[in-house]
Order: sequence, then C-alpha cells, then structure tokens
Amino acid sequence: MGILENKARARLFYKYLSKVYDQVNPFIWNEEMRADALELLEFEDDMTVLDVGCGTGFATEGLLEHVDEVYGLDQSRHQLEQAYEKFGKRAPPVHFHRGDAERLPFATDTFDVVWSSGSIEYWPNPILALREFRRVLKPGGQVLVVGPNYPDSFLAQRLADSIMLFYDEYEADAMFKRAGFEDVKHAFMGPSYDPDVAITTVGRAPE
Amino acid sequence: MKESLLEILRCPLDKHELELEDAEYADDENANEDEVVSGTLVCTECGERYPIEDGIPNLLPPDMREETPA
Repeated sequence: MGILENKARARLFYKYLSKVYDQVNPFIWNEEMRADALELLEFEDDMTVLDVGCGTGFATEGLLEHVDEVYGLDQSRHQLEQAYEKFGKRAPPVHFHRGDAERLPFATDTFDVVWSSGSIEYWPNPILALREFRRVLKPGGQVLVVGPNYPDSFLAQRLADSIMLFYDEYEADAMFKRAGFEDVKHAFMGPSYDPDVAITTVGRAPE
Repeated sequence: MKESLLEILRCPLDKHELELEDAEYADDENANEDEVVSGTLVCTECGERYPIEDGIPNLLPPDMREETPA
C-alpha cells in the first residue's frame, strides 16, 4: 500500500509537490522580484560585482542596469551557453568563469557586491559558500542571496528537505551570521499569488 | 578572458596566484590585444592546471570537472 493509492492523498501529494517545484522553478524568480532585490543594494557604476551561479544571466541582466560590468560564475557549461547568447562571451559587459560557489577562484577583498539568486539551494554546504563570499568581498562590501523560503506545510517541508536545501528567516540569519556577515536583513518576495516563495538576505562584510 | 583578469583570479583550492601558460590571443578586429582565447592557468603554489576554453577560464576544482584529462 503506497501513499498514492488513496486518491485524495494523491491529489494532496501532487498539489504540494507542484508547490515545491514552483519554488525551485527559475521562472518563479521574475523581473519584478529581481527589481525588488536590486533595490536592497547600493550601487555605483564602477563597482566590481560578482554574480555567483549566474546561469543563463537573468540576474546579470538586472545587475547591468546598475553597474558597467559584472563578473559571472557558474559551474554549468549549458546554462552559461544561454548567457553568452545574451551578452557575448567577452567582457565588457560580463567576465564569465566556470567555478564552484564553495571554492571561489578569486582573490580576497576583490568585490564590492556579491550576488547570488536561485543557486544556494544547490550548494552542498551553504556556510562554506557564504564564507567564501565574505572572503572575496571588500571590507564593508554587500552580499545578497535569494533562495527559496522554507514552506509552511509539513508535507511540503518533508519534500523540500528530501530534494534540496530550504531555509526560513531564522536559519538564514544563523547562516549569514556564522559566515561572518553583519547588518543581516531578510525580505520575502514572490508573485502576487504566492508572495513569500523567495527569501532574500542582504548583509555586509565587516569593515 | 582578459589577461588583466589574472590580477583577481586565484586557485580555487589554495587561493594562490595563477600563471598564464601557452596563451593564444584573439586576433579578430573586435578583440582587445589582451583577449586570451586559449591557454592554461597554473597555480604558482600547488601546480594545479585550469584550462581556458574558448576564452572562458574553467576554474572548477578538478573533482568537479566533467572532462578528465587524458
């Protein structure tokens, strides 16, 4: 007797499964949410900005509305191919790299801003990655991470836990503070029908 | 990649500086003279080698590379 043999339970299961999939689906991360997240940072044109897990370049595109050049890093060749089509392979405006969020290939104290959206849920050890973000940030530099908010329902939580990392405000706070960030703040974002699917955390590297 | 990127690139494993070997530069009219299209970035400390593939530095640690060197 599997759980899905009861049709009512099966409907419930798929309802929550699709909810979880919605939360991890990159399309839920839309232009309006991107604009809201960008509002949380202070930019100057000539800042050095790193987009970790830049993927197809959706956030990179938004960042380029605020700064002249972006440093993009992703581990996936296939995702990056789509970004190359948008911006070309050569800088300016984007310096592309393949690399790992938890072992960044950059010098200490390099960036004014480290941004990562829709990527943290895939990192095996988010604290390691966040410590790397702090290392490559200049003192006082700004970090912004968008991740999926931890779902409210128990079943969705079980599914979420088994699929990938989800976290709530308290966990996010603990992670960012453990990684050494200061002024840690959180904002919830999402489309009107599901306004808190994403949790965005901002913080600063210590001066 | 721009050769000037070497200033901020580091070995992902030990964070030491990288040296550019066997560099080939773009020679088309759109390219700046420091546009590297192929070559290898070599860690000055541990000697780990990172390829530049069609102008993109592949700085994935060796355990994450899908292609194993021959």
